[in-house]
Amino acid sequence: MQIRIPSAARFLTTGIIMQNSRPVHRFRNKCVRILIPLIFWLGIWQIAAMTVGFQLLLPTPVAVFRVLLGLAVTASFWQSIVLSLGRVLCGLILGCVLGCALAVLTWRFRWADLLFSPVIRVIRATPVVSFILLVYLWVARADIPEVISALMVLPVIWSSLQTGLETTDRQLLEMAKAYRFSPLKTLRLIWLPSLRPHLTGGLSTGLGLAWKSGIAAEVICPPRYAIGTELSKAKTALQSPELYAWTVTIVILSLTLESVLKWVLRPRQKSTGDREKT
Amino acid sequence: MSVLCIENLTFSYANRTVLDQFSLTIPLTGLTAISGPSGCGKTTLLRLLAGLEKPVRGTITGISQKRIAILFQEDRLLPWRTVRQHILDVLPNDRREDADSWLTFAELKDSADLYPAELSGGMARRLALARCCALGGDLLLLDEPFAGVDAERRARIIERLSRQCVPMLLTTHEPDVVKACQRQIILDESPGSWKH
Repeated sequence: MQIRIPSAARFLTTGIIMQNSRPVHRFRNKCVRILIPLIFWLGIWQIAAMTVGFQLLLPTPVAVFRVLLGLAVTASFWQSIVLSLGRVLCGLILGCVLGCALAVLTWRFRWADLLFSPVIRVIRATPVVSFILLVYLWVARADIPEVISALMVLPVIWSSLQTGLETTDRQLLEMAKAYRFSPLKTLRLIWLPSLRPHLTGGLSTGLGLAWKSGIAAEVICPPRYAIGTELSKAKTALQSPELYAWTVTIVILSLTLESVLKWVLRPRQKSTGDREKT
Repeated sequence: MSVLCIENLTFSYANRTVLDQFSLTIPLTGLTAISGPSGCGKTTLLRLLAGLEKPVRGTITGISQKRIAILFQEDRLLPWRTVRQHILDVLPNDRREDADSWLTFAELKDSADLYPAELSGGMARRLALARCCALGGDLLLLDEPFAGVDAERRARIIERLSRQCVPMLLTTHEPDVVKACQRQIILDESPGSWKH
């Protein structure tokens, strides 16, 4: 039996299918998904600022954008961004390396689990502000954001990787042993693909934590050039538009870093053309 | 002709004795079917022969565990590797060109670029079998090699298996597979008893 579809309905159905399948339409849909909420909330912000009518309490988005443009043409703005990013990324890498090493140790050796697991849980439970103040006594001011970021990332990576190590399929590992795979081959073919989703999740959460805690450390213990230092200065000088402009910068950078990380850690395409040739 | 000799083999899982004082001597040639009811110790016997389990008592002589290939009861495929990659993973560098012939052996040549999630149960079993055979060795231990494989294909593959010059011990429930083997060992439900 053949079902006849009226021409208008056929146009609508094919239109919907095409919209989902064409890359141009997918890009347009993505833009709409980003732009509509952005315009809506900027509008709400503008209305709220006009209602309050006091720039010190709530500046308008236009005023903040003007300040941001003014900041963007200065060298110190970019210097602060680069140095803050550098500190946070150094902390992230340090936290990841330590977290991975400790996860392997605590998973492999009972004595290491007994000694280190409680300490890592204490680090996870300690508020970031306490750490900033404690680390201030021991570390040079410029290095505090790195140490704090690393301390915040370490428990997240440790926990994710340990879960990954514990949940890796024992049957596949037994197969690797029975089929005489070398340790390197077992690592490449079984451990790394099994740990990948856990590491990706841990890194994604860790990046956000490293960024926020790093900036908080810069606000409390301001180094010479840093986003946190600029935030602190704007607050002291009661420069609300500047405070908002730096906050907007932090949010933009955070979202950009998250997108870059997602792109770097994206799962490999399963299309034939993209498959690994061995 | 070498002979596999099992003497007084005893093995238990926690409180359950699976094999008790099990002894067996068989020539290591051609295909040998091991059959018997579920839970009688067929898989355990293969795992003991492969050295994956340690017996409580008893000895196994006549084989080198370093030169044994085992097909597990489960397929144990890697979800992130294609069919062809599974075969290539076990082939040494100087035998990589044999991959196609192993894919033909398992009738999977048209599915070489598929991932395990895209295979049917029978196809996955054939891939696991081809991978085990490609690994090779002095003795192949095949645990339910034809589970989920249709009768026609089973007949073709067992015919190809019997042409291999490697002795094989396989557990099976299928009468046609038993018929195609040179000898049969039937394990009883009581631990340790068997008959030819």
